Formats: sequence, structure tokens, C-alpha cells
Amino acid sequence: MFGNIYCKRILVSVRNKGTLIWTWIFPLMMATLFYFAFSGLQDAELLKTIPAGIVVSEEYESDTALRTTLQAVSDPEEGFLELHTYETREAAAEALTSGEIDGFFSLENGSPKLSVSKNDLNQTILKSFLDQYVQTRHAVISLLEKGDTDVSQILDLFQTETWTEELSLSKNVPSETVNYFFALLAMVCMYGGFQGLDSVSYLQANLSPLGARRTLSPAKRFPMVFFDLLAALTVHMACMLFLLAYLVLILRVDFGTGLVPVIVTCLFGSFLGMSFGSFVTAISRAKEGVKVAVIISVSLACSFGAGMMVSGINYKIAKTLPVLAWLNPAARISDALYCLYYYDGYGQYFLNLGILAAMTLAFSIVTAFFLRRQRYESI
Amino acid sequence: MIHVKNLVKRYGKLVALDHFSLDVQDGEIFGLLGPNGSGKTTAINCILSLLTYDKGEISLFGEPMSPTNYKSKKKIGVVPQNVAVFNELTVQENIDYFCGLYVPEKAARKPLVEEAIEFAGLADFRRFLPKKLSGGLLRRLNIACGIAHKPELIFLDEPTVAVDPQSRNSILEGIRALNASGATIIYTSHYMEEVEQLCSRIMIMDKGRAIATGTREELTALIHTGEKLTVETPALPPAILEQIRNLPNVLRADHGDGHLKADCKGDGHPIIDVLDLLRQNNVSFGQVYSEPPTLNDVFLEITGKQLRD
Repeated sequence: MFGNIYCKRILVSVRNKGTLIWTWIFPLMMATLFYFAFSGLQDAELLKTIPAGIVVSEEYESDTALRTTLQAVSDPEEGFLELHTYETREAAAEALTSGEIDGFFSLENGSPKLSVSKNDLNQTILKSFLDQYVQTRHAVISLLEKGDTDVSQILDLFQTETWTEELSLSKNVPSETVNYFFALLAMVCMYGGFQGLDSVSYLQANLSPLGARRTLSPAKRFPMVFFDLLAALTVHMACMLFLLAYLVLILRVDFGTGLVPVIVTCLFGSFLGMSFGSFVTAISRAKEGVKVAVIISVSLACSFGAGMMVSGINYKIAKTLPVLAWLNPAARISDALYCLYYYDGYGQYFLNLGILAAMTLAFSIVTAFFLRRQRYESI
Repeated sequence: MIHVKNLVKRYGKLVALDHFSLDVQDGEIFGLLGPNGSGKTTAINCILSLLTYDKGEISLFGEPMSPTNYKSKKKIGVVPQNVAVFNELTVQENIDYFCGLYVPEKAARKPLVEEAIEFAGLADFRRFLPKKLSGGLLRRLNIACGIAHKPELIFLDEPTVAVDPQSRNSILEGIRALNASGATIIYTSHYMEEVEQLCSRIMIMDKGRAIATGTREELTALIHTGEKLTVETPALPPAILEQIRNLPNVLRADHGDGHLKADCKGDGHPIIDVLDLLRQNNVSFGQVYSEPPTLNDVFLEITGKQLRD
């Protein structure tokens, strides 16, 4: 009986156009959309070289220290400056006004000066660079003037001593875009609800003629629903793996960890989605279209809360309405993937999986309560 | 094989089955006849333990029926009123699926599925999805899914609704063949002609009650109406019509569209009396038809309304 129910249910699922569109095609379209919409965002997160200028005067030509330093920090491979040279101060000022450069250096009475037109991140970096240069230069000159300076003392000036230990919270590069893909995976997990809907409708005599026919057969009820749900889970996980493969192999989305824990998260999410769909179907005799609408609406609302449409909304909800955030299954799935990406430990990750398991159990118990009935008041 | 005693089923204030009793013997084709809403499907669903009921006793194969009486369920085949198949599975896959709920072994199932496909005349459509089938073929698929496992007792709930005449004949022939192969059949319909043709015994239902049970002959013998006479008479003076109405064996008589129609009592020789009267009064007449009473007449006389009202 297992083979018959399991194999035919898989056939039913893969041939169902609604399932095909909502759980296979729609997520691929969303993933592709995210990829193209947010690829610029990823680039923006990387620190670019800062366009800066230098007024090449006689004084500058003779200041070997400054010249060498600027050449070093504008190295095309490792430098952070994109250095433009100007013959006059006016030419440099004109370039600054036009936005060609973010600031320019000039030497006035032996002292390097920085000119900027606004106060922004790049201007702050230029200022910090200049301050450090001036400070080190003065120190070197002071030591040399003393006459009996050891060379090692001068070299020490160029070594930055750090008295604090820098610990990274993340093992991966912070990324805004990856959160959208986490939320997308969470949404597809929630779409497992369609499979739960089908499984329960196909079993309940008061929900469909098919349910009535199956109820009249001598096949026992719980093995029948178990085999059915197992097949549904197989199809849904195949759909999840297909989406993951598309994200990883085609769109090159980096999940920052081995894929096994990501797949485990999807499995827990799929259990949750299916149990939610079963719950919605079992508790009400509303028409199938209404139940489909409920599953789609709740899935999208939860995905919105997990940050699929608006970046950072999940953090705002977690801050202002923490209970809602904890009860949002899509947010838990998304957060579990977030933990895998950013955290070294698995504590928070397992907490999320635990919450998902608890929700699944709660939905399943209520569903089982309704499914245990085999005789109906009316059909 | 089926024993139902004093079954009562209520939907709120509506009494769907009112002390309904039924006994069906092995090998019968038993017809449940009644207008829509008379309680036929409710009775079947209660017998099959799909519906709860307020009162009564139900036993099948000599055992009380319950949702967990898997032994009895294994011997039952059900063809529901609404087509209940998977739209995503082909004809063959559907039959195999439902047969598989009764016969788990694939090897044992295979010849049964083939037999059901042949029986339903679906061999040319075995790889078709249900949506590609006509209404008649879909009904045949619905039947094939219910009988593939060769049940001893088959419930057919209005299997010919919305079916073309050709498919209907094919379905009725199939039901006779199932009965000939040893299956007991419970057949519900509101088409009296089908029930008259097919069933060895008939129960007429109305408002959740069994109003008459017996063979066709037994049922028609229950009523006063005998044969129904139709005489082609282009013109019939009202006085003559009145004389016909007053004949001792005539219950009712009317004239319209060039035809005299008379319902006669079950005894005597009404045709001879009517024709003699017409001849004596020089009323010319053409063709003469005489029909035996139908189940509709039985229903009409007992309930005062037409079966298809």
C-alpha cells in the first residue's frame, strides 16, 4: 500500500499546475528578480577607492616623504586613493567643485593641507590619513633632531600597536542582499502549506468526494495520511533543493556555510509549512479557494515580516514587537539561516529550529484532533 | 447481506431518514428510487458509516457496520454520485490507485485493473487524464475505480446522472454483468425507467421514508391504477368523454391534442369497453395504445405527486 499511495501522490503533486506555479516557478522568478535588483547593492557595500587630488608644486616635488607616501597609498592594487595631479590649486579646486575628486592635498609653507567641499565618509578618511601622516612626520623629525636616535625607534613609529583584540562576530562578509534570499527560502517553506492542504482534503470525506472515497476504503486512516504526507514532503523538499541549486549554482548566492545545515533548516521549515496547510484545511469547511488564499496570504505576510520585501523590517519587528517576531515562522526560518551565515556558534540556530518544531507539533496535534473523526454529521 | 432497522438521521430540525428500514439479500440488484432529496444518498452514507445517525441498527455481512470494520469494507465497492478521481492521474493510474487501497499486492492488482479497464470500455483511453474524457467516459471511470477490486457488495449512487444515452446503456449493461458475476448491487436513481429495467426489487422513498418495497409487479399491484389507454381520436364530443369517465373500469379520462387518454382500474376489460362506446357513438378513432402502470403511477398514487417533481 505504501508504494501505491506514495508514488501516486508524488505524481499528483508534480502534475498539479497550481503547485508547479506557486512552489516551483514563482520562487525562481522571485530569486532572479532579487538577483538583478540587488546585485548593485552588494557592490555598493564594498569600499571603493577615494578620488583625491594633489597640487604638484615645486614644494611638493621637493617633499620626498609626502610624494612617496601618496604614491604608496594610491597603488592601483592595494591603495585606497585614486590620485589625480593638478598644476595649480585653482585647477584642483575646480575638480573638487565638479565632484571629480572628494578632496585635494596641497603644500603650504611646508605643511600639507587638505581641502574638501563637504563632510562625508570619504572626506573623513582623507582627513584621518593626513592627520596620521603629519603626526608621524613630526615624530620622525623630532627624533632625528635629537641626533642620537636609534633606527629601531624610528621604525617603531610606523608600527601600529593595538591594545584591544578585534573579534569578528561574523565568519562571513556582511551582506544586505543575502537576507532577501533567506526570506525567499522561508516563503517557499511556508508554501509547503499547499501540500498539507491537498493531503488533508484528499482524506476528509466532508471536504471532497475523493476524501469520501478514500475514507470508505479498508486502508487504515493514519498510515494512509502518513504515506501521503511523506510523499508530499518528498516533492516539497525536491522543490526546495531545486531552488537552492538555482541560487547556489546559477545565481552564485553565498550561504556562507556548508549546505547541509541550510537543507536541514529547509526541512524544518517545510514540516512547518505542511503542518500549517493541514491545520488550515482541517479546521474549516470553507471552499478550497478560500483556504488557498489563506495559505498564500499568511505566507506572504510572514515573509514580509521576515524581510522579503523591505530590508530591515525583521529587525524593526523584533525590536518593537518581539513576540510577533518569535511567532512568525518565516522569520524563524530566515533567522536560522542568518545565524548560519553570521554566527560561529549554533545556539541561536538550534533555538530557531526548536521553535519551528514546536509550532509544527502544535499545528499537527490540532490537525490530528480533527482528522481522527471518521464519521461526519453531514457531508 | 444488508440489514437496516429503524434508522433515523436528522440535520437539525430536518428529518432526513425517518425510521428507515431495509433488507437486501445476496445476489439482488436492489433499487432505491425516489426524487432528489428523498434521502437515498443519506441512507447509503449512513449504511457505509460515513455519516453519523441518531437512531437505528445497521449490519452488513451479518456484522454491525462501523468506520473501523475493515473486514466488511474490503468486500464493498462504492461508486459515489460525484465523480471522485484524481485529475492529475491517468485513467489507468486512477483505477490502480483505488484498487490498491483494497488489494495492496501489485501483482494481484494488475489483472484486476486490466479487467476493470476492459469492463468500463476505457482501453483506448487508459493514458488519458480525466479532464480529457467526456461526461460518459468520466462516469465509467468513476465506476471502474469502485469495482476494480471485485467487491461482493456494490453501492452505485446515481451513476448515470448527466450521461448520454449510449453511455447509459453501456453502464446498465455493465451493472447487469457485475450482478451476473455474483455481486449484490444497491442502485439509487431518480430515473424510474432505469430502476424498472435493472432492479429485481425496488424501494420507493420519499421524505426519508420507505413508502413501498417489492418487485416491479408487486409495487404496481399495490395501486388501483391498471393499464393506461391512449386512443387517437381527432374529435371527441364532451358528452361522449363524460360517458367514458363514467365507465366502471375507468378512473380518469381526458382528451387533448387529438388523443383520448384514460387511466383504467387493474381489473376488467377497459379497452373493449372504451372502444365499444366510441363505435356505438360513431366516433372515428385511429391507433390504440395500452401501457401497463409504471413506478411513477405507484409514486403518484401513494404520494399524490410526480416522481420527478
